[in-house]
Amino acid sequence: MGTARVIYEIHQKTAYTYAYPVPVARHVLRMVPVDRPRQRVIASHFSIDPDPVEWVETTDFFGNRVAHVRIERAHTRFVVRTNARVEVEAADHADPEAGPSWEAIREMAAACCDLSAGSPAHHLFPSPAAAQSPAITAWAAASFPAGRPMLAGALDLMMRLHGEFTYDPKATDVSTPPAESFAIKRGVCQDFAHVMIAGLRGLGLPASYVSGFLRTEPPPGQERLQGADATHAWVTVWCGPELGWQGLDPTNALRVSTDHVVLAIGRDYSDVAPVGGVLLGSGRQKLSVEVDVVPLAPKTTRSKTNG
Amino acid sequence: MARGREPQALSQRFEAEAVEALLAGYRPLPGVHDEMMDADGQPRPHWTPMLAALAEMGAEEVGKRFKAADRYLHRSGVFYRVYDDPKGGERPWPLSHLPLVISAQEWRGLARGLIQRAQIMEGVLADLYGTAELVRSGALPAAAVAGSPEFLRPLVGVDPHGGSFLKVYAADLGRGPDGRWWVLTDRTQSPSGAGYALENRIAIARALPDLARSLNVVRLAGFFQALRASLTRLDRSGEGRVGLLTPGPLNETYFEHAYLARYLGFLLVEGEDLTVRDNAVYVRTVAGLKRADVLLRRLDADFADPLELNSGSRLGVPGLVQAVRAGGVAIANALGSGLVEAPALMSFLPKIGAQMIGETPMLPNIATWWCGQPAEREEVLAGFDDYVFAPAFQRPLPGLMENGPVIGADLEAPQRERLISAINTRGVDIVAQETVHLSTMPVWRSGKLEPRPFILRIFLAATEDGWKVMPGGFCRVSDRLDARAVTMQSGGRSADVWVLDEGPVDHITLLPAPGDVEIRRQTGPLPSRAADNFFWLGRYVERAEAMLRLVRTLVGRLSASAEGGGSAVGKMLRLLDAWGAVPGELARARPARHVLAALTRPDLPGGLPSLVESARATASVIRDRLSPDAWRTLADLSTLAAEPVSSGSAEPDAYERADRALRGLAAFSGLASENMNRLAGWAFLDLGRRIERSIAICRFARALVSGGEVTAGALDVLLELCDSQISYRSRYVMVEARAPVLDLILLDPANPRSLAFQIDRIAEHLDDLPGHHDDEPPLQEERLAARLAAAMKSFEADEFDEERLLIIENQLMELSNEVAERYFIHRSPAETPWEQLA
Repeated sequence: MGTARVIYEIHQKTAYTYAYPVPVARHVLRMVPVDRPRQRVIASHFSIDPDPVEWVETTDFFGNRVAHVRIERAHTRFVVRTNARVEVEAADHADPEAGPSWEAIREMAAACCDLSAGSPAHHLFPSPAAAQSPAITAWAAASFPAGRPMLAGALDLMMRLHGEFTYDPKATDVSTPPAESFAIKRGVCQDFAHVMIAGLRGLGLPASYVSGFLRTEPPPGQERLQGADATHAWVTVWCGPELGWQGLDPTNALRVSTDHVVLAIGRDYSDVAPVGGVLLGSGRQKLSVEVDVVPLAPKTTRSKTNG
Repeated sequence: MARGREPQALSQRFEAEAVEALLAGYRPLPGVHDEMMDADGQPRPHWTPMLAALAEMGAEEVGKRFKAADRYLHRSGVFYRVYDDPKGGERPWPLSHLPLVISAQEWRGLARGLIQRAQIMEGVLADLYGTAELVRSGALPAAAVAGSPEFLRPLVGVDPHGGSFLKVYAADLGRGPDGRWWVLTDRTQSPSGAGYALENRIAIARALPDLARSLNVVRLAGFFQALRASLTRLDRSGEGRVGLLTPGPLNETYFEHAYLARYLGFLLVEGEDLTVRDNAVYVRTVAGLKRADVLLRRLDADFADPLELNSGSRLGVPGLVQAVRAGGVAIANALGSGLVEAPALMSFLPKIGAQMIGETPMLPNIATWWCGQPAEREEVLAGFDDYVFAPAFQRPLPGLMENGPVIGADLEAPQRERLISAINTRGVDIVAQETVHLSTMPVWRSGKLEPRPFILRIFLAATEDGWKVMPGGFCRVSDRLDARAVTMQSGGRSADVWVLDEGPVDHITLLPAPGDVEIRRQTGPLPSRAADNFFWLGRYVERAEAMLRLVRTLVGRLSASAEGGGSAVGKMLRLLDAWGAVPGELARARPARHVLAALTRPDLPGGLPSLVESARATASVIRDRLSPDAWRTLADLSTLAAEPVSSGSAEPDAYERADRALRGLAAFSGLASENMNRLAGWAFLDLGRRIERSIAICRFARALVSGGEVTAGALDVLLELCDSQISYRSRYVMVEARAPVLDLILLDPANPRSLAFQIDRIAEHLDDLPGHHDDEPPLQEERLAARLAAAMKSFEADEFDEERLLIIENQLMELSNEVAERYFIHRSPAETPWEQLA
């Protein structure tokens, strides 16, 4: 394991184009990363167009940075730009066969005495975009034979998901429930993450949803990661008080390390949606997202487990 | 009770015998506590005065009185809505007439226990949305809190404006076989039923007026007074405005929302009426935005703000949570208060409650085991058949408990296996509860008393002087004999609850003492949505009237003439067709068939049933502002429209229907113009009517006097359609001629049915509406009205040909659009932006 650190320069531009002018809009924006374990935000800047009449910034329950904006000028284009410089430290990947069994994790999570944001208790239950599905639960159960360590089971589930599912941006949309994408075994990162979460929670195991960025161009000799052209999503799984939350990216069958920059964490997509809101007016909207995540200082040594 | 002059002993003997006769055949269920009869078959002392009074009245008289109570409820339009009814129908309020009688002494105990429990609930909420010491200390597992869909994370760490989460608390109680009361459910989200309790009280007090007084039944008004004061005090804007936030007329208890808003003097608002600006909440009114500092919330919290809570909600107010966070609005109960309704909490409350108040709570809740804990899980699985199983949180469990709790012993093998396996894998979702047997109370069934199980809901309000308990309640009585609490999920009837005082009771009404009344001529601003509905109510009612006049006139001409298509009858039929009031497939049928279809077929957009339905739908949204009588005339009209077609001749039937419907509309207009306060609501109603009537006059005139040669017959029809025959005859001693007829129905400002008269009224209304100032340039709709008025003055009757009438018609429609644009909420659907993550 190297003590790798990577500093990324992140540029994101999200633009909505409306068919008809929107006179009034309110948005909740979760577009700026914050400091987290293994992640330090060196600088960040964030702007929107058109100028809002109200702009309030808060931190939500899960510690994500949120901006509430109100626009009262007719507009046919809404643009959000984020520029950030973020340092990410390589993860010290724990041995999957170590740590408590999944059954023990289930009891620990149910008995947990912590109601703060990091508690597994928040991630045990069905949530708005990750309803429970008996079919997904039954499928997930195959990765958890009696007594298997939690992390080993979760990694196995991730590999099966990656193996059985086809990455297909046309198959689903932003509101597809996990049971539907599971039935066709197709979808994008959001669907992969929701299915994995629904499966784990169905067994009483805590899993949360992460939105964030992926390194755009792979290091020499490696394949480009799926989902690097837009905001990405993956899963973290609680593996007990020692191992804590372990990041798993089912879309790329990858344990999270220096390729991932966390933007927001929640129970599912609905908690972390980068742009939420209500617009007055109707008509179609068109979205374009451009993301660049470029390592600033390529003096890193990569850890082998990432390969 | 008239027993003054008789010798005491005789009267008592007579009374005892009569009561005995009344109670003959009343058999409490074995092993179940009965409220009225003790274990020895004797009536309990606090029931005897009422029983004696009923016995003295005799079954027939009692039956009559109870029917009067039902009539009162029907007349007041009390209803509830049934969600699973495919027609989404409104149901008449099912009243079980005999009140539940509670003695003063027993009530004191209940009230003390409930106040304690309300304090505990408040304490738990404050802790869980604050430092969560209860969780940290191990008294409450985090999952028992985090699992609740009512644990609203955006509200964590936000202090409720006004210092407390709960302003209203209610509990559903049942009494076990040992005579102890138990809390079955806590209601903290937005307890419903207090308004229905009030209606039940009024209905029963009307049926048994002397009895309620002589028994010293404690009155309810003091409670509502305290609640109103407690909410009004939170208003910092000083405008005295409290909104009652309702999900809207499709909600099952919407009647209660409208009723309470009127009774408490609050503004009934839907999410669409409100907007958040710079962390404050405003009502959109016809006079612009007005502050709303306090909201009594009957909308579930999750739906209250699509931005931060349920993003799928179309009922909420975007930005409301942000306003709460900034302290810009007080919401009662605070968003997130529903958290402590979770059955999972009940398994921890006995301990937590004792810890919190330093003694064992007086009022226990039903014994509950949360299956998220291994020891409890084992206990429950071992005694599976003894328990009732329920979702641990307010979220149905698909495949297990979709319609509420299930009884362990009743489950078939496959269901049983599924439930056991679910308890083992996801016990966190499930609670087990003991099977509670409820006590029974008497109901009146065809002149006799019979025992029925019931659940009692009692309401508390947080006031400046602590918790106040409503001396009464909302009692749900089962239609069946099964006394297991779990079977009481739906259906049944409701009963009044009489708390007996030991002395005569104070007469409190919500009318303030004469010295305290501040004279006000304004009833507060009219929300834009209400204005919109008033306007359209006016238009639909008038549209129905025009159609009916056309039908009645047409039927009247059928017998007199058998002329062909060029006749007045043909013109009228073409007009009905143009209005979408007759079906296409009847083209060759007799005119009478067309007309009957216009009066009865619900599938015709311009037919009577559709127009009445539209009028009723708009009226239902402003029910808090309409008199019950006006509402009832609309209900009668829809009954009339739904009457089956008689098998006899179509013509008399159609005439009779049209005539009756016109009289019904006349009653509505009369009630509207005589009984409605001449403020903005009435102005919009009348404005809608005047615009619609003007358009109808233009259309009548266009249809009947177009073309060169106009017959006297057509002019006579036109006069009848415009209800101006009498005026014409009194003015002209001659047959109908084109110019005088058109002058009377179009230009004569003294004829209340003329176009000129309508246009004058429209101009007056526009002048009075908010936003119009004499010293500013006229608004677009005022310009249009002025142009129309000028046309009335600058042309001769002869000059009104088809083209000119069409121009006027178009200007009227433009005027209607301008009014809508300025005063109403624009209902383009709100959208949510999306971004799929890759």
